[in-house]
Amino acid sequence: MSVSSARSTVRSVATTVAVAVTLTLAAAAGCDSRQEPDLPSVQEKLRESHIYGQPKLRIGVATNEPLMGELRNGVHSGFDVEIARYIAASLGYEGEQRLEFVGVSTEDRIPALQGGTVDLVVSSFSMTEEREKLVSFAGPYFVTTQEAMVPTRLKDRIRTIEDLRDPAYKVCTSGGSTTEAELEKHQVRTFVVKDVGDCVEGIRAGRYDAVSSDEALLAGFRSRFPTEFEIIDMPFGTSELLGIGVPIGDPALRDLVAFFLDKSYQQEREGLASSWTAAYNRTLGPWLRAEKRQPQPLDVPKLVDFDDKAPR
Amino acid sequence: MTGAPVVRPAGVPDGGGALPPPRAPAPPQPEPTDPAPEVAAPGAGDATPGPTPSDEPVAWYDRTRAGRAHPDKAQRQARDSQSFWTAAVGVPAVFSVLRLGVEAGGELQTTLLLVANVGPVNLLAGFLTTAARLLSTALVAIFALGAVLGVSVDRLPPGTRRRPLFARWADLAPTWLVVASFLLALVTWPLLYLPLLVPAFVAAFQLTPAQLHDRVAARVLLVAALLGGYAWLLLPTLLDAARQGELLAFALLAVPPVLAVGISGPLPGAVIRPLASVTEVVMLATLVWASLPVISTPVLPLTVTTVGPENGPTEDVRGHVVTTDDVNMVILQERGGVRYVPVDQVRAQVLCPSEEELPRHRLRIHDFHVEDSLLEGLGRRVRPVHRIDAACRAVG
Repeated sequence: MSVSSARSTVRSVATTVAVAVTLTLAAAAGCDSRQEPDLPSVQEKLRESHIYGQPKLRIGVATNEPLMGELRNGVHSGFDVEIARYIAASLGYEGEQRLEFVGVSTEDRIPALQGGTVDLVVSSFSMTEEREKLVSFAGPYFVTTQEAMVPTRLKDRIRTIEDLRDPAYKVCTSGGSTTEAELEKHQVRTFVVKDVGDCVEGIRAGRYDAVSSDEALLAGFRSRFPTEFEIIDMPFGTSELLGIGVPIGDPALRDLVAFFLDKSYQQEREGLASSWTAAYNRTLGPWLRAEKRQPQPLDVPKLVDFDDKAPR
Repeated sequence: MTGAPVVRPAGVPDGGGALPPPRAPAPPQPEPTDPAPEVAAPGAGDATPGPTPSDEPVAWYDRTRAGRAHPDKAQRQARDSQSFWTAAVGVPAVFSVLRLGVEAGGELQTTLLLVANVGPVNLLAGFLTTAARLLSTALVAIFALGAVLGVSVDRLPPGTRRRPLFARWADLAPTWLVVASFLLALVTWPLLYLPLLVPAFVAAFQLTPAQLHDRVAARVLLVAALLGGYAWLLLPTLLDAARQGELLAFALLAVPPVLAVGISGPLPGAVIRPLASVTEVVMLATLVWASLPVISTPVLPLTVTTVGPENGPTEDVRGHVVTTDDVNMVILQERGGVRYVPVDQVRAQVLCPSEEELPRHRLRIHDFHVEDSLLEGLGRRVRPVHRIDAACRAVG
């Protein structure tokens, strides 16, 4: 009798505990379902950024870089422009009514961001430590290497960095670019002009003999004059990480841009059609010697968005 | 009907209140004088545990054990069934109309505009879509608590006459309603809360490990296998929750099935009364608290309409489209106020998610998001791609 009574007591205590814990968990679940999400969301970041409420988004792009950023007959095109369109659409700015492309030259990229003329810069902008003191970067969205391009007539004579050092050849590059600093490091005397396009025009006019810049830019010009130029693979040894420039005072916008670049990166990794791949195939893809893939963006924040519940 | 008691076979659910034709005359029984069910002593000679009062309907969790059920009074059955259906139809209707008022921003004219344009069927369907979760939660809680209290009543201190309210409700509920409530909860509750349904189900039907097998060893093995299977299913999610420091999510997923093992059985006499009173009050408060978001959930879908003349500047109007005719599109703006937009000025329109739909957790159970219900999760498999239109991010 006492054994069965003890068992019955244990049983009722177990029931009491189970009922109490279940009710507590249910109450906690109820409170949890009504709580504000504590994860930062895309919408929240948008509200923090300086572009919130702006009727138009202004993006700085190059206008004279074939395949990357080009302005022809009033229409902007190129890989950078397509990436800019993707980022803008993700931020809620789609269509000509809401998106304004502002042409910026290589050296104007930082001042344009600092002065607030543009909200973002997508213009073959290499991410360097030096620049990161002045602007923020989201990315990289493209990795490229430094190369040199020579007219077809010189393709057998200029093969190495040593050849570029030869004072007989006039090497041209764009001002304020990473190439300029790299060439200086290798003691190559350079003629600095505003844009790589000016160098190409200069070579065609006979003023210079070679131009050095990143592979993507040079491929762009080669696509414009396929028979006149040749790209020479030179061991500069540094890879250029192209990023999207954001004003340094707007970390929320930087986070958003990085988040959307990463979204495209994740899509590509899962074998889905990503905006990056579409942009690449339409522009640079056919003109680069080796096929490229989207690099993994750095410092991507964890944000929640409406499509988070969708199956992966 | 002569009012003579009839015998109903045990376990037969009583649907619309109609009784089957009498099959055999039952021994005469005294008419109860008190309309409220009483706690009666267990029937003499009846070896089954738990009370089976003579004038009381037998709860579903007792029907299998009780040899036979005693007849109900047809009148009371009819009344109960009537009030059930009145509530089932009336409550959603009243809620729906209240929601229209809230949706209109409290403006009389806007409410009238909505009343004129939102059909009753749409309104009811919209209400059920958003309220199914709340409704099933309330029913499951009542049935689970009612069953636990119901099997405990014989431990009440002597002199207590009335059975707890939830126990009486649970006694009255037909089995199909209990099963339907659990099924509704199964498909509408978020996956994260679904494990709570296990102890609730076990409590509502008073299942014990003893029913699994006669031998203790086999019983222990079966329970261990069930829990092991559950753990195997949820292990990746549990590890993820632990990594993210989501303690509540971890507890909600891991603990309830363990509780299910010990939840059935009578409670000690001392806790029955306090538990019954506290849960009744808490339940009422919760219903009021939880019905507020149901009332304020929009009736119409959220859209962003791009408005502007041809080749001119455009404007995004964020709101709910009330109606469209040949001349105007009537939009109830998200921030309030009604806007009549000429149809020829509508450039584009997109459907947008609302911020309440943002997830609170970053956890998945085998690719099903923990905040999705089974229905939603299956739906996402049918239409897996979800694109948020750029206009949805626009400021309203």
